Amino acid sequence: MHEMSLMGDIIQLVQEDAAVNGLGKIEKIELIVGDIANAMPDALKMAFDIFRDQNPHIFSETAELVIHLEEAKAKCVLCDSEYRPEQKIALCPSCNIPSGKVLAGETFQVLSYEGSNR
Amino acid sequence: MKVTLRTDVLTNNNRAAEFNRDLFQTTKTLVINLMSSPGAGKTTLLEETVRVLSGKYRIAVIEGDLATEKDADRIRAMGAKAVQINTHGGCHLDARMVAAALGEFDFEEIDILFIENVGNLVCPSGYDLGQNHKVAVLSVPEGNDKIPKYPQMFMRTELVLLNKIDLLPYLDFSVEEARQDLMEINPESTLIPVSARTREGLHEWFFWIEGAYAKCVQQ
Repeated sequence: MHEMSLMGDIIQLVQEDAAVNGLGKIEKIELIVGDIANAMPDALKMAFDIFRDQNPHIFSETAELVIHLEEAKAKCVLCDSEYRPEQKIALCPSCNIPSGKVLAGETFQVLSYEGSNR
Repeated sequence: MKVTLRTDVLTNNNRAAEFNRDLFQTTKTLVINLMSSPGAGKTTLLEETVRVLSGKYRIAVIEGDLATEKDADRIRAMGAKAVQINTHGGCHLDARMVAAALGEFDFEEIDILFIENVGNLVCPSGYDLGQNHKVAVLSVPEGNDKIPKYPQMFMRTELVLLNKIDLLPYLDFSVEEARQDLMEINPESTLIPVSARTREGLHEWFFWIEGAYAKCVQQ
């Protein structure tokens, strides 16, 4: 779907920051990807490999992408129980009422990157 | 050297969305981002909406498609200003594409802007365009399973227009089941059954728009 364009955004964010910090080639990028953040980790990895192989002036040859998965989590406002939302996101499995609010799983962040010193 | 960023991947999109939102708020323009699968009937719904409401509101439309001006031409034929964005393969509109099209409009002369997103039930839901409201269109022939299968769309929309209800007698679609599924994914969302072809139920959609417009102007 749109993981190529998302990877383009990620690389742009990293490149801009690396330029400010006077860093050279990118060696590693770490992301946090939530379960319900609309991004597929495998497709992101594939997109990263393509960008790395096509842009040797930006990336070191062994540059890697590390993805930290954030599990989706919701909490019922009635019984306070926490559950992992899947299809019926708001449906609390203990109350069987749509009383859950999403707490986690929507994060999609560039956590960090590593660049070589020039 | 390791640098910690903790920056949202969609930072640049969100910045453009805020830029759009500022303009919409300053000019008191109600902006509705309309999303659905291809073929759910977004453009037909907009044709009817423009036809009925343009006596009362000054309406403009941004049409998002991979290619062609076909949808913008259909809206223009109904008498509204329409600008086509071609994404050339892109599966969704982003806020920067919308920002780039804003120069085509005079927002002092527009009350309501509809943004018809690229037909796709997955990708458009994640992109803030600066709209006031996200509305999904689901059509009866797509089947009941689409709401639970695409929760990430329906958790982010506040209204679902269930279109093509004139086909209900011929298909195994349960409106009650759709309401139940929607409530279990997003209890704050509303479902309005409509048929853009027979115009059944459209008055409820128009009523919703009038309420949203009144709220937008008050702010």
